Amino acid sequence: MNKKYFTVVALILLLCIGFSTSGQTAAYPSRPLEIVAPANPGGGWDAMARTINRVLEIEKLYPQPMSVLNKPGGGGAVGMAYINMKKGDDNELVVFSPPLIINTINKTFSQSYTTLTPLAKLITDYQVFIVKADSPYKTFNDLMAAVKKNPGAVKFAGGSSPGSMDHLAFCKVAKLAGINAKDLSYVAFSGGGEALTTLLGGNVSFVSSGTGEVLSHIQAGTVRALAITSSVRSGGPLKDVPTLKEMGINTTYEVWRGVFGAPGMSKEAQAFWATTIKKMVGTKTWKESLEKLQWVDAYDDATGFAKFLKDEEKSYSELMTDLGFAK
Amino acid sequence: MDFLSNFWGNVVLGFSVAGTPFNLLLCFIGVFLGTLIGVLPGIGPMTGVALLIPITFGLKPNAAIILMAGIYYGAMYGGSTTSILVNTPGESSSVVTCLDGYQMAKKGRAGQALAAAAIGSFFAGTFATLMLMLFGPWVAGIALNFGPPEFFSLMVAGLTVVTSLAGRSLVKALFATLFGLAIATMGIDNQSGVPRFVFNNPELMDGLEFLVVAIGLFALCEVFVNMADMKGAVMERLTIKGSLWMSKEDWKRFFPSCIRGTLSGFFVGGIAGAGAAVASFVSYGLEKKASKYRDELGHGAIEGVTGPESANNAAAGGSLIHLLCLGIPGSGTTAIMLGALLMIGLQPGPLLFTQQPEFVWGLIASMYIGNVMLLVLNLPLVGMWVKLLDIPLYLLMLFIIMFSFLGVYTVNNSVQDLFLMVGFGVIGYLMKRLDIPAAPVILGIVLGKLMEEKMRQSLVISDGSLMIFINRPISLFLLLLAIVAISNPYWPQIGRGVRRMFGGAPAV
Repeated sequence: MNKKYFTVVALILLLCIGFSTSGQTAAYPSRPLEIVAPANPGGGWDAMARTINRVLEIEKLYPQPMSVLNKPGGGGAVGMAYINMKKGDDNELVVFSPPLIINTINKTFSQSYTTLTPLAKLITDYQVFIVKADSPYKTFNDLMAAVKKNPGAVKFAGGSSPGSMDHLAFCKVAKLAGINAKDLSYVAFSGGGEALTTLLGGNVSFVSSGTGEVLSHIQAGTVRALAITSSVRSGGPLKDVPTLKEMGINTTYEVWRGVFGAPGMSKEAQAFWATTIKKMVGTKTWKESLEKLQWVDAYDDATGFAKFLKDEEKSYSELMTDLGFAK
Repeated sequence: MDFLSNFWGNVVLGFSVAGTPFNLLLCFIGVFLGTLIGVLPGIGPMTGVALLIPITFGLKPNAAIILMAGIYYGAMYGGSTTSILVNTPGESSSVVTCLDGYQMAKKGRAGQALAAAAIGSFFAGTFATLMLMLFGPWVAGIALNFGPPEFFSLMVAGLTVVTSLAGRSLVKALFATLFGLAIATMGIDNQSGVPRFVFNNPELMDGLEFLVVAIGLFALCEVFVNMADMKGAVMERLTIKGSLWMSKEDWKRFFPSCIRGTLSGFFVGGIAGAGAAVASFVSYGLEKKASKYRDELGHGAIEGVTGPESANNAAAGGSLIHLLCLGIPGSGTTAIMLGALLMIGLQPGPLLFTQQPEFVWGLIASMYIGNVMLLVLNLPLVGMWVKLLDIPLYLLMLFIIMFSFLGVYTVNNSVQDLFLMVGFGVIGYLMKRLDIPAAPVILGIVLGKLMEEKMRQSLVISDGSLMIFINRPISLFLLLLAIVAISNPYWPQIGRGVRRMFGGAPAV
């Protein structure tokens, strides 16, 4: 008797749980969120994913549990393959930056960036071109003059393979200056830190790098930043670094980061993230995090982001076709 | 005088920061968690520190780095435990420890092996901290002399270690090394961006994960060998024979290898910046050349544990110099720590020592304290760990399988890695049956990728001239060292030949 009673209660309880979960599917979000960082812990993508996670949590903008999943490998290829397997899953986000476009064009990724659902552009960083403090190149024009004279003799280094950001950023500048970018002599390292060590050791002439990695050395005066790729000067320790435009080279190079949903994200989820991300970037926690990590706010909504990505694809396509990296 | 008084002032400042009850507690939590993380295969210091980053947000910079550093060197301590007990390397830097550590355990000397590893780690860790304190910025300056050519030559010198891993046949060892070097070519080539042996599989784009191969070749292979021998045979337990503690004889053999390991580890890891795994291999090679008991290596010599374990701790401490003085991470873990420090609002780099003395000296003091804590924590644990060996072998094998799968999966969250690991387990079994040593494969993987990368970087810098390796003194010195290391077994023969040629009396 007692046992039967217990069984009935248990069944009712189970039914309740069943109904409540099926009832909740109507209102997104009802399930835990997974934010994919397509790289190992420690890099820019990981920091982005974890910052989003943290701000959403602190500001209570997402009512369900959240976690960051690291899917390292192939410069994002593993993460890209993973998120494409999650087609139609509204509870998956992924962060990416220019390599998403670059690896679409050079076919390192099996899937195009267009498969993803762009949600928002969030921040941006810029490239700087730095020389060692005792370098003979005092200004960017000195450097460019030397490169023009003998492109192969001025070795430059970066923290990624040829045809990726550090390399392409300077190729873009060189091309505008009328130099055949194929003649440049680029030494690829497997991280910005290694490239910097090589510069400090006097083994290469200059380094193309994101600003964050070299900031402390610019402040300490061990290296000199000759130019920054932003359209207007940055503040803080980089306030004395001239932009390319100031020196008559009419271009910029942006290392943006944005957040995407899995392919085929529902309209409802997209609408949720449109408002939620807008709220997130307005919070004090978000702004403080950006300041600490020296990221520049570059928020743009889904429509603006999608258009921006198209422009990026066009510009990278041209550059990479010239250099023979497009496939 | 001025320097000295400054120095003492800084030391006092450091201990006053690290000695607060709260920071002491964090230091303890750090080294404790670190030890656990090190013991579990796969969950390396990198994952451990990354998992803790959210917790550090609420802390002051000092407290945060004390916690993270504790995990970092705690894991270096713990990594040796499973290598010794069950032939399962917890970290890439403790693969070499398997060679003699597990043999010692098989002989019933697991206690001595664990103790030697812990004490060696303590000495090396303390030494590296001392160097950081006294000569940090200076060492960082020397480190900059290690450009791509020097690095390449160091790798060449490192490759000569293979002769010490050879076992009975040098040909078989060379075969295994080439296999390792071949595996190292897999993945996207950094110099050209071209994928090699990737077969359109995104998970292979970064090449094979080192731990996948190491755990397959060591841990799973051990399981397979035991399974094969189980049939009909009486299962032996790895029992402890005699005392757990090191004897007088052990101590006498401990010190020279500990000193060699510490110095070579600090050079390879701290000055050259080549990482703890390379440091441990180099140290093993050094033992094979320099130790009085070199013939026992590979059969459970205490030098084979002390040397590499001292070396990997000295290297780990050394790479903190790169992080703090240059703001350049020398390993995956220090890269994560750099990221975390930036989040906190600190910028490691050349100015850190002058701008944030409280932070730097607090960290240094906490490293001394942490090292002592680790020793106190680990020595009593030795008794507990060796009890693991009392578990019947068939159960122990199940545990090894479980930890292998768990460990490999957590590295990349990848199922494919599990299949690969099993594959390498089978390869390892076949190699064992054919008497081909497994360690040279690992050596090839550790050195291969770096060696190729550095050589090609050098050649871009020199416009293709190989002279770059000879024109630079450090590079030349390392290459000569490699030649000496390879040729020295043949010196007596060469000497005899020369004497005969010149008509002298032939030596006996």
